Amino acid sequence: MSALPLHRRQSFRLAFRYLLAIMFVVVFCFPVYWLFIISFKTPDEIFAFPPVWYPESIQFKNYAVLFKDGDAWSVWNSLVLASVSTFVAMILGTLAAYSLVRFKTGGENLAVWIISQRMMPPVAIVFPLFLLYVYLGWVDSYFGLIILYTAFSLPYVIWMMRGYIEDIPLELEESALVDGCTRFEVLWKVVLPMARSGLFATAVFTFIFAWNDFLFALVLTRTEVTTYTVQVTHYFGGQSNFWAKIAAMSVLGTIPVFFTVAVMQRYLVRGISMGAVKG
Amino acid sequence: MSDLKITGIDKHYGKFHAVKGVSLDVPEGEFTVLVGPSGCGKSTLLRCIAGLEETTGGTIEIGGKDVTHARPRDRDIAMVFQNYALYPYLNVRDNIAFGLRARKFAEAEVEKRVKRAADMLDIGHLLARFPRELSGGQRQRVAIGRAIVRDARLYLFDEPLSNLDAQLRDDMRVEIKRLHQELGRTMIYVTHDQIEAMTLADRIVLLRDGVIEQQGSPLDVFERPASRFVAGFLGSPKMNFLKATMSQTGVTLADGRKLDLPGYKGFKIGQAVFLGIRPQHIALAGKTVAKRHERIAVTIELVQPTGSRVLVTLPLGGTSVVAELAAHDVSRPGEKIHVDIDLTRAILIDADTEKVIQVTP
Amino acid sequence: MTATVHPDRNFRYWLVAPAIFLLLLIGLFPLIYSLIVSFMRIDMMDTDTSFAWFFNYKNLFKDARLWWSLAHTLLITVIALPIELLLGLAMAYLFLEKMPGRQIFIALLVLPTIISPIVAGATWRLLFDNKYGPINQIISWLAGERINALWNINPTLVYPAIIFCEIWQWTPFMFLILLAALSNVDKSQIEAAEIDGARFWRTFRYIVLPAIWPVMAIAILIRGLDLFRIFDIIWALTQGGPGSKTETISIYAYAQGFKQFETSYTAAIAFLVVLILTVICTWAIRRMGLAK
Repeated sequence: MSALPLHRRQSFRLAFRYLLAIMFVVVFCFPVYWLFIISFKTPDEIFAFPPVWYPESIQFKNYAVLFKDGDAWSVWNSLVLASVSTFVAMILGTLAAYSLVRFKTGGENLAVWIISQRMMPPVAIVFPLFLLYVYLGWVDSYFGLIILYTAFSLPYVIWMMRGYIEDIPLELEESALVDGCTRFEVLWKVVLPMARSGLFATAVFTFIFAWNDFLFALVLTRTEVTTYTVQVTHYFGGQSNFWAKIAAMSVLGTIPVFFTVAVMQRYLVRGISMGAVKG
Repeated sequence: MSDLKITGIDKHYGKFHAVKGVSLDVPEGEFTVLVGPSGCGKSTLLRCIAGLEETTGGTIEIGGKDVTHARPRDRDIAMVFQNYALYPYLNVRDNIAFGLRARKFAEAEVEKRVKRAADMLDIGHLLARFPRELSGGQRQRVAIGRAIVRDARLYLFDEPLSNLDAQLRDDMRVEIKRLHQELGRTMIYVTHDQIEAMTLADRIVLLRDGVIEQQGSPLDVFERPASRFVAGFLGSPKMNFLKATMSQTGVTLADGRKLDLPGYKGFKIGQAVFLGIRPQHIALAGKTVAKRHERIAVTIELVQPTGSRVLVTLPLGGTSVVAELAAHDVSRPGEKIHVDIDLTRAILIDADTEKVIQVTP
Repeated sequence: MTATVHPDRNFRYWLVAPAIFLLLLIGLFPLIYSLIVSFMRIDMMDTDTSFAWFFNYKNLFKDARLWWSLAHTLLITVIALPIELLLGLAMAYLFLEKMPGRQIFIALLVLPTIISPIVAGATWRLLFDNKYGPINQIISWLAGERINALWNINPTLVYPAIIFCEIWQWTPFMFLILLAALSNVDKSQIEAAEIDGARFWRTFRYIVLPAIWPVMAIAILIRGLDLFRIFDIIWALTQGGPGSKTETISIYAYAQGFKQFETSYTAAIAFLVVLILTVICTWAIRRMGLAK
């Protein structure tokens, strides 16, 4: 290869890279594609052998069934739970993060303890939580689950916002203080606007984590507040599965996530990597 | 025999033409400095020579071998980077030895060479330390050590002193000059600092906007600049430029003052020119050594002491010029003094083409 | 907040108070409750709140199904983690240099990570279906004859299916993190190494790897812990079956708690899990040199 002139080498490399890239995209996206088209297939097409790679026409009957049966409400439930809990977690978490960064509240220990909560295995606490919720009457209630998701999102929000707040030069806040702002005004008028992009990115990923949760929804909901993730598992059968419903429900539950990520894809890396990489 | 020969090098970054058909012949053992303002293409040119950038056109020969398409490691070059680029997870010894080990030298040989380089640069006592424990100057020495240990044919320096503070820069400049004398290798050095260029170079190559404006020995380029750009770039403080028009025997300045320029030729009456006078060629009345001078009376505008000298801003020809006088010649602004302008050292620049028409006769 | 002289001291505590309260309620309380209950004998039948010392913990050691579930968990973790790491690294290198359309490729590649693990599991359940799934179709086409592999039921095939689904979903996560880390490596060091004559592996081993190690270690830790707690994917694919062949520790704990209602025993299991994770975490943090 080194006998070839430099630019020839570069072209080969680029072509090769494209080939690999397309291969990876096929492997990682095909299953999602398959899920999508199943949701649009007729029962004949779904159970056809050999499998139909591309449906005759896009038909929404599978989705209509979900709406008719009222199953589609589960998406609404997920939406309510995820958005409200994200909203509250962002507020509480950002305030706490600010306190940790600027005032070093609780020192190293508090910070470590908060982060360690993210490592907490859900299975270790889900049962006692269930018992607690039964006692409080919070099972299958919006309120109860919102509290839960908020609490679970807090460590992530605090960790991420810590990083973003640290990036804001202290001088800006100090000059605001000198100019006559109260501590609270400094937070509201200086810090939050500067951390805006960080707020968005963190909110998106907090939302996604809550949206995709399964175990807690499984344990702490019954019929009133079923989320879409639990709803999907209702279609699994011992003998046969309601493939069409599984696919349609999954797609309904996934579209909002695709949409948010597409809009926020610039922030992908930092959000998913949990601030492990600076910048 | 030229050690480095580049012909018609072109480098495009998309639409931006960074290096425009540059050709250069560097004989063996010469210290060539590429100097110019930011964005002139000097670093790009150096990186092309190193093979870190691919050229869009032209050829590069090192030691008679065509290396235009060769990888950097096959070009027999060594390079010192602006930010040192030391390997942070290796200690100083391993940093210096890195290249030798990569080329599978025997350990005994590696030891010998590392010791020799370390002694040459006076860093023998730092061999066990890590880069983060060293000062800026020490890091720079390690970077140089890493370069010289491989005994390469061509040495490339990319603004190596830019990150050091002023005092250190002066010291390191001396080190580098001494190094060149000891090693005798061909060195290409990039800088934006004209003092470094003047003091280090065997040959200065001035670049602007991707082309070579002028090249030659430092004294040559300093005393016989080819254009206004070159005249204004070299020399600190900058040369003064006065708008004027040519007269029968000299020039007429913007404020009407006539200056005769004996010894100069080819006057075209009415031609718009710039008269270039270096601050060093204006002296306190009676102190100049020039054979011919023009004495004028002025009122001082500004005074900037620099220790043994003082930079004085005075009005002349409708504008302000800077003169470099001895420290005790003047005291404060508003003072009225007489100065002698050495007109035998002035240069004439065509106002339209910005090319130098005439220099010291 | 209006007071003219409002000591900062109180402000900062007001800021963290609500968050800490919630975390204590949802995070700490259940843990303490678990601990206490694990020393009792509460189950479906009777609520014996007398102190039973280490009764439950002794049973833990005798419980074969528990140890099998730990083994299952370990198996999945030990296989999936390195593959995710290496594959993610390879992908990161692939997309490191600029290329037109890079953003689009990356956005597409991230899809598996952002969908719910349940949906991911369900998707692969679909794909692996023995009659209607494309996987068997493709294999049959390659083999030339009709293959009817029971991916979700056949004990030998179940683990590859689970591991494959897990790797499919989480390699993009590693990919993104490593891509960011690789992008942050000082380019001039790489250039210096190139001039020094180092080829790819030497440069990688001495310069790139030490530079990305802190980030890589965190990624390994996060992913490793997540793998230990794996639940959703397996639930969607096999629900721990066939029998308890693919039961991981989380699924086993769930079964004990919500199918058998062995309250105290489940608490003991929960505590065991927390203990194991804490030990691993502390060891890992020290070993990997992650001074937070």
